[in-house]
Amino acid sequence: MGKKVNNMDIKKTLTSLLRKRPFQFLLVGFVILVLLPVLITDNFFLYVLTLICISAIYAASWNFLANSGQGSLGHAAFLGLGGFASALLGNSIATALIRLLGTTGMPIGALSVTIQILVLLVGGLLSAGIGLLIGLACVRLKAWYLAMVTFGFSVIAHTLSSQFDAITNGVNGFAPTTLVPRGFPFYILVISFMFSSISIMYLIMKSRMGLAFRAIHGNEAEAKMIGINTAKYKLIAFVISTFFAGIAGGLNVYFLRFVDNSIFAPANSFLPLIMSVIGGLGTVAGPIIGSIFWVSIQQILALPSVVNSLQASVGQYFPGISNVGPPISLIAIGVILVIIVIFEPKGLVSLFRKIYKRLGVETHEKAEEKKKRKNSVSLFRNFYKQLLGAKATEKGEIKK
Amino acid sequence: MDITAPAIMLTLIWGIAIGCIYMLLATGLNIIFGVMKLVNFAHGQLLVVGAYLTWTFSVSAGLNAYVAILVSMVVVALLGIAVERLTFRRVLGGDKLNEIFVSLGLIYIFENATMLIWGTSSLQITSPFSGMSLNLSSISITYDRIIAVFVVIAALAAFGLLIKKTKIGLAMRATSQINNTAMLMGINVEKIYMITFAIGAALAAVAGGLYGIIFSFNYQVGAMPTIIAFAIIIMGGLGSIKGAIVGGLLYGITEQLATYFLNGLWGSAVAFALLIVVLIIRPRGIFGEKGE
Repeated sequence: MGKKVNNMDIKKTLTSLLRKRPFQFLLVGFVILVLLPVLITDNFFLYVLTLICISAIYAASWNFLANSGQGSLGHAAFLGLGGFASALLGNSIATALIRLLGTTGMPIGALSVTIQILVLLVGGLLSAGIGLLIGLACVRLKAWYLAMVTFGFSVIAHTLSSQFDAITNGVNGFAPTTLVPRGFPFYILVISFMFSSISIMYLIMKSRMGLAFRAIHGNEAEAKMIGINTAKYKLIAFVISTFFAGIAGGLNVYFLRFVDNSIFAPANSFLPLIMSVIGGLGTVAGPIIGSIFWVSIQQILALPSVVNSLQASVGQYFPGISNVGPPISLIAIGVILVIIVIFEPKGLVSLFRKIYKRLGVETHEKAEEKKKRKNSVSLFRNFYKQLLGAKATEKGEIKK
Repeated sequence: MDITAPAIMLTLIWGIAIGCIYMLLATGLNIIFGVMKLVNFAHGQLLVVGAYLTWTFSVSAGLNAYVAILVSMVVVALLGIAVERLTFRRVLGGDKLNEIFVSLGLIYIFENATMLIWGTSSLQITSPFSGMSLNLSSISITYDRIIAVFVVIAALAAFGLLIKKTKIGLAMRATSQINNTAMLMGINVEKIYMITFAIGAALAAVAGGLYGIIFSFNYQVGAMPTIIAFAIIIMGGLGSIKGAIVGGLLYGITEQLATYFLNGLWGSAVAFALLIVVLIIRPRGIFGEKGE
């Protein structure tokens, strides 16, 4: 019993802290993330961690749009737009600077970091600008129709980037000039972007505007009825979401040091959806948990040791292909996806909540439910008592 | 490239032939959507499995390619039943995103399983009419494409009869309107779902067989046809068979004309641009029911 109370105390203080000082919490998280690669100095670990953070921004941007009741199946268009725009702009600025300074390579310093941040923001803004135009076409559309139109735009973006190859170099692809060195410095850049973008999206969702988004998500007709300009708010959500998707695209390109038109592939459009649903749709933590889970499971299954052991054990049964490792890993990923949805349809967030509940603490909802049940039980009992009492007196009367 | 009337005629005929294959896939997707309110993004993977099975039956069992299609139809229908029972039935009626999600998982499973079984190299099914073509003055068109059009017409006619004339078709139509009421009328809704999914899968297998005869295919070709089939039913109006037919023809012809007048890269981009224009003008598709 004592343990239970102790847990309850911890939970209460944690929740109140989270409510009262969310930014201190964020700061602690930031420091932990900065310290992680310092404590575990491993290049592969740092690589996966950076990839997780970039994916988290991308997934959060998709999740933000989904929170306003719009499901996009073409977010790869904005990922690619942001990526191409920032890489092309960064490269042309770098060439101009190198010519101006007369150096052989791009000097790394405060200037290059500023340029890096600037081109990422420009990539995001361009993506948001195109997002505004596409959003204008989409405000009347709903559900599947919207999904298909956004998907169509990603197909068109792919074609355009191949067609205007002279400008984009999209067919063969190219590498962006290094502005922030690979490794720890780039990681710091990524986590700063992640914290600021996720906090901005969180603050918007908590504001009046976020309330309007959620109202539209709940029921668009009703939202319109109570005087929300649904077209305007849907458009705003679209623009904000595509802005962050563009930033994620720029970070992705500068991290992988390569961009070609395969960035517009449908798989990239489905990625944020997978991560958001795995984590828990419509929650702040969902996209983050989802990207941690998804990226790490993909990286683990693609590890050379895993792939090689698979080839050694079952390779002989499938003579048609040279290496059975990757397809078997991908089948495993597919099975995991299906199992998660069947058994945990509200995402991993709900799994964590269940564990949290098991710790012996009552959530607000559950306490409320219990109270209600108690009320109804006592109501029923009173009613029954009265009934019995009436019967008793009736009997008594008969006896008399 | 010179633009001549016969060349345009040929392009149109090609567009119709390709449109017919998409139409078949779209009809399968559409009937599953209409009855079960489910969008199966892994539908194209059933097409690929159908193509591979047709290839296997025609090569290893020595069957005529068109007979092999019938056999693979039955096998894929059984596979469809298994998929429906094991996965989709458990998430039906919940959040729409969960259904997309299951089908994304199925794409991973199917694509890599077919790769494991049949390898990575491209295949093409040889039909008895391979290499033969019909010559009409200045244009020539292969018999296989003409046969494909007739096979699609026959399959759609049989499907139409099933829906309109049989008791099962009646039950399917009732379920597609309101499933709870259908259940109250004594229809075994789960059985109807199973039959619907099997029919959709069988249509995908026929489309796969025809696709494998006309084009070469590998384990990866399934993704694009699914999206195209989905675009077609969206363009025509979700749940409308008439819409799937018109949408399929419109899509196939637009794609081929764009490929002819511009180049191969533009094919799907122009077709999707058409889809976007159609949806901006009519947000619920050509034959879709009126929205708010």
